[in-house]
Amino acid sequence: MLTGYIDGLGLVFQLGTLLAIAGGTFLGIIMGVLPGLTSAMAIALLLPVTFGMPPVMGIGMLLGTLCGAGASGSIPAILLNIPGTPSSVATTFDGFPMAQKGEAGRALGLAIVASFFGGVASMVVLSLLAPPIAEFALRFGAAEYFSLSIFGLVIIASVAGKSLLKGLIAGLIGFFCSTIGTDPIAGVDRFTFGQLSLLTGINLLPALIGLFAVSQVLKDAFEYDPSNKLQNSPHKVDIARPRFIETLRNWRALLVGIVSGSVVGPVPGAGGSIASLVAYDQARRFSKTPEKFGKGHGAGIVSVESANNALLGGALIPTLALGIPGEAATAVLLGGLMIQGVTPGPMLFESQSGIIYGIFLAYLVANFFMLIIMCLGIKLFVRVLLVPRKQLISAIIVFCFIGVYGVDGDVFNLYIMLAFGLLGYFLNRYGFGTAPVILGLILGPIAESNLRRGLQTFGGDWTPFFTRPISVTFLVIACGLLALTLWQNYRTRQQDAAPDAA
Amino acid sequence: MAKDIGKPIFDLFLVVASAIGFYMATTLPAVSMAGGLSPASFPKLISGLIFVCAVPCLIRDSYEWLAARRVREGVTALNATAPKKGILQWLTIVALIIVYINSFERLGYIASTAIFCFLNVVCLVITSGEFQKLSNSRKLRNLAAYTVFAFTLSLVIYYVFTELFNIPLPD
Repeated sequence: MLTGYIDGLGLVFQLGTLLAIAGGTFLGIIMGVLPGLTSAMAIALLLPVTFGMPPVMGIGMLLGTLCGAGASGSIPAILLNIPGTPSSVATTFDGFPMAQKGEAGRALGLAIVASFFGGVASMVVLSLLAPPIAEFALRFGAAEYFSLSIFGLVIIASVAGKSLLKGLIAGLIGFFCSTIGTDPIAGVDRFTFGQLSLLTGINLLPALIGLFAVSQVLKDAFEYDPSNKLQNSPHKVDIARPRFIETLRNWRALLVGIVSGSVVGPVPGAGGSIASLVAYDQARRFSKTPEKFGKGHGAGIVSVESANNALLGGALIPTLALGIPGEAATAVLLGGLMIQGVTPGPMLFESQSGIIYGIFLAYLVANFFMLIIMCLGIKLFVRVLLVPRKQLISAIIVFCFIGVYGVDGDVFNLYIMLAFGLLGYFLNRYGFGTAPVILGLILGPIAESNLRRGLQTFGGDWTPFFTRPISVTFLVIACGLLALTLWQNYRTRQQDAAPDAA
Repeated sequence: MAKDIGKPIFDLFLVVASAIGFYMATTLPAVSMAGGLSPASFPKLISGLIFVCAVPCLIRDSYEWLAARRVREGVTALNATAPKKGILQWLTIVALIIVYINSFERLGYIASTAIFCFLNVVCLVITSGEFQKLSNSRKLRNLAAYTVFAFTLSLVIYYVFTELFNIPLPD
């Protein structure tokens, strides 16, 4: 492990890499500030910039984006009462009342420092837990990988869509799309319609950009209303001085936030909004002054923001150790890793330990950059809120085109991007969610090739899939989760129906 | 919440698409493999599962839509203008993206991007009704600003990506 860290240090502490991480963090902050632009979209849009970079530099840039976007959602939440990202919803509870009292700078200072502590703590959790999990995963064979793919799909389907069935459909669409191209075992062309560009299957990048960026732009275009201006006076803030002492004074809330984020983070599919709401609720329970929560209390901001960033490192554990992303942003990051030629999973820890420890360190460095950039550039980031939506829509589409065309100069991929953008728009609009599609695209080939290889190895016998201990554990947990989600959906429908009947 | 007829229509699309997917999978070459699974097996299984999951969604969303329609008859007409405007804006941007894709290599990056950006902003302000509210002199000033924005954005991005990041873009 020590050798890995030494190798990683050498890869991270180079001028180019540090600049890339700082640049990614800066751009991530800008994207996170704009309501409607998620961290998944930010990473998808920045992917093309990383094409020519070495793996740690490119991934460091994307991690910086993830870190920056995760933290800066608090800016519009505090200044405008509009959460920049879904995980910043709970930041509005105390952040906006504080801004109304003329303490916007203090609220931002607390949010920045809490995000920093949360991020650093999650890096420690990530570096401690990911290697043993990856080592354990080395025992996996075809049956285990097949079951793990099903497990990952069920988990994300159960939380990403508005209903389990819809989440599953979205994941299965991803699975089906992953079968397009040359069959990995028999070499037969499937659903290519004579199109040469489809022989190697659907490229991940057009699909990612379509699902996460183009679909959002289409939504923005649909909802575009010139009378609904964000310019409605964001609370003024001159400087957000980092509030280290005040944050540490709220140590209970900080600890609750870090623990909540770290526990919720590795659970695939749980997501930032759940972690922050759990942290807020628990911080209020543990507080000596719970009545102050919701009225501009610093502890509320500290708990939520520390949880938001503590979650990111946790979410990277299954992504890096097993190759199973937990939610949308890490799914896109996984796509980015694969485009960089880095295949996440246990073998990565064995074969390229320098890269993996470099990724851990890059994430740590990104948190430091986030702290510095957020403190110094707060006035600029507030101004980002004033960028008119119509110009922003054009600019995002232009970036999408560069990203997709830049991969291999194939115009056909632009049509793929648009097709996935339209699909993503309708999937989001009708409650299916887009994260399961991308996970299906990533896990589909793993599931299919391991199922078929497994059956070849076992002579056509299916029983080892259900009798090998690790494989059956994944399947049992997946089935249990399916049953639990179905039960919860049923209960919610019953509760919704009760007032209507009354 | 108003129920959207698009929901059952999209479910129906999924049902039909999965059936077509299943049919197309059956036409794949039958290659017998050791272990029993041919190249068609997985797509058939997946499209079958999509069909099985989409049918209950279609039934449920159709019921909900019909129930909401009975309750909200007459109310929808009052709110009809806002979605119509949204649909027009949505269709405009989709059409512009298709035109942009087609002209991307033909016109080159700078020209196609500048035209797309200009048309996109102009179409949005016209379809949203923003433009009509402006005085004539303001309209001209805004059009000039949109032109400057479109050309500046395309030029800056072209040089940043081709020179700084070495990403080839069509000339």
